[in-house]
Amino acid sequence: MNKQTFLKWAERNAKRIGVKKAQVLRAFEQEMTSPADPDAPFEIPDTMHINMRYSYGGQSRFFREILENRRILGARCTTCSKVFCPPRTHCPHCYAKTEWVELNGTGRVLSYTTVYFATSSAIKNVPYIVAYIRLDGADTAILSNVEMKDVRTAHVGMAVQVKFRKQRDGRITDIYFKEAS
Amino acid sequence: MKRVAIAGIGTTQFRSRWIEKTYFELAFDAVRAALDDAGMTRDRIGCVVYGIYNDFFERQFQPDLFVHDYLGLAPKPAIRVSTGGATGGSAISAGFAQVASGLYDVCLVVGVEKSADCFDYETGRSSPEVLKAISYTADMTYEQPTGRTAAGSFALTTIAHLEKYGNPTELQMAKVSVKNHTNALLNPVAQSPIALTVDDVMKSPMIAYPFKRFDNCLYSEGSAVLILVSEDVARTLKKPPVWITGIGAALDWAVIGNRKDLYSFESSRIAARKAYDMAGIRNPLEEIDLAELHDAFTGTELIAYEDCFFCDEGGGGRLIDEGVVGRGGKLPVNVSGGLIGCGHAVGATGIMQANEIVLHLRDEAGRRQIKNAKTGLVQSIGGPGAAWTVCLVLERDKG
Repeated sequence: MNKQTFLKWAERNAKRIGVKKAQVLRAFEQEMTSPADPDAPFEIPDTMHINMRYSYGGQSRFFREILENRRILGARCTTCSKVFCPPRTHCPHCYAKTEWVELNGTGRVLSYTTVYFATSSAIKNVPYIVAYIRLDGADTAILSNVEMKDVRTAHVGMAVQVKFRKQRDGRITDIYFKEAS
Repeated sequence: MKRVAIAGIGTTQFRSRWIEKTYFELAFDAVRAALDDAGMTRDRIGCVVYGIYNDFFERQFQPDLFVHDYLGLAPKPAIRVSTGGATGGSAISAGFAQVASGLYDVCLVVGVEKSADCFDYETGRSSPEVLKAISYTADMTYEQPTGRTAAGSFALTTIAHLEKYGNPTELQMAKVSVKNHTNALLNPVAQSPIALTVDDVMKSPMIAYPFKRFDNCLYSEGSAVLILVSEDVARTLKKPPVWITGIGAALDWAVIGNRKDLYSFESSRIAARKAYDMAGIRNPLEEIDLAELHDAFTGTELIAYEDCFFCDEGGGGRLIDEGVVGRGGKLPVNVSGGLIGCGHAVGATGIMQANEIVLHLRDEAGRRQIKNAKTGLVQSIGGPGAAWTVCLVLERDKG
C-alpha cells in the first residue's frame, strides 16, 4: 500500500476490531510499502467477538447470594450428604437432587500457583495466586484467587477466609480469599 | 477386532509461526507427505479423522470442513476430534476404531494447528492473546475468570505432588528442559533446538510457580498426519507396517477440585494401564524401548514417568537424576525433543509424537535413531490437569 492508503486502512480496521489506531500502525508497519515479492504474506487486523446474556440456570442462586447477600452456598446431596462447592443441582455420584446449605467461608488451600505470565485480560494483574480451596463443610474444592502482601509466602494447607468485593458483578471473581487471621 | 497398522507418516516443521501458510495449506503439505510415504494415492482413503484443537487459533469454527475441501476429499466421510492437548492422540484413537471395526480399510488422520495469528494489540505480542484463546477452554462458570492459565493448571498439580513426595524439584525439572531442548538439536522438524544448561533454565523468568520459561513448551504451528490401514492393505505396501498394539484412554474430572487428590493424574494411570494390558506389556521399563510423553511442562513429564509406571509414585525425579530417560539411557523419553524441544502444535502434537516413534521402529530416524527399537509408547494428554489422556503402544513388524 502507499502511505495514504495504509493510514486510512489502519484507521478503518482499528475501529472495526476495537483497538487503537497507533497499535495497528505499530503491528502493520511493513504494509506501508508494497513488498518486493508479490507473494509475500499479507496480514490483516481481525477479531472474533460475541456478546451474550448468559443464564446461570440451576447455579443462579449461588451467584445471586454472593452478589446480593455476601453469602456463600454449597449444595448437599439429599442421598449421600456430600457437599459440593462449586455447587450443582444434582449429585454426580447418586444423581439425586441437592439442597442449598450455607458455608461459613473459611477453608484450606489444597494447592496453589502464582501466575507471572497471563492472558491479555489478566496480564496487568501479575503476579497473582490461584488456589484450590476446600471450604469447611464442603467435600470438593473451588478455584479462587488468594490475595497476599507477599505472594511468596503462599503454601499448601494455608487457612483462608472468603472475602466479597465491594463492587460485585455476578461473576465468580466477586469472591476471593485472604489468609485467615 | 482387526489389527491396525500405521502405513504412512508426514510431519511439517513445527515453528513459532508459519506466516506463509494457512491451517489448511499446512495440512495439505503433511497429507501429501504421508501419502508419498505410504506409496498411496488419495482415492484409497476410506475416511478421515481431523484433530484440531482451538477454533480461535484457526480463526474458524469447524475448521475441519475447510481442510477437507482443500484436500479435495469430498465426499469421503470425516469427523473432527478436539480434546485439548490430547487432540492428536484422540484423533489416532478415533481412526483406530474406524479400521479395527472393519468399517474402513484406510483412515487418514490429520492433525493441524495455528496459534500465533492470535495477537494482543496492547502488548504487541501473540502469547497473551494465545493464552486468552486457550482460557476459553477452561470452565467458564467457576474457573476461567480467576485468571488461571494452562500452565497454572499443571503448576497446581505439580505443587500438590511436590507437597506429597518432595519432588519434582526445580533442579530436576530444569534437567528435563535441558534434555528435551538438547534432543531437539537432532530433529530437523523441531522448533526449539537449543544447547541449554541447567543454569539457563533456573535463571529464566517465572511463568507460573514453580514453572519458569524454559519449563514450558512453546506454542507451535504445524501439521502431522498418519495413515491407518488394515492388515490386508498393509501387506500390499512397500514400507514395513508399524502396528498399534495397545490403546488406552480416560477422561478424569476436568474441574480439578472435584478429584480425590491433586497430585497424580488418574486419567494417565488408567490410559497407560489399559494400553499395556492390550499390548501384553507387564514391565514397561523393561519392555518399552522409547517413549514420547506429553511434556507440556517439565514437571508434567516427571509425573508422567510415574503415571506410565516406569517407576513407583514419587520416583519420577530419580529417573532424570539417574539418566534413565536420557538418549543413552534405558528408556529414552522424548528423543524428538518433545513438546518442549520440538514444539506443541496442539492438534498435530500427538500425531507428531506417534510419527517420531514410527521413524525409530522403521530405522528411519537418522542421527537420533534409537538402535533396535521394537516397542514405543506415546502419551497424549490435554485439558486442565491432564483431564484427558490417550496412550498408544506401537510395535515394529515382526515380519
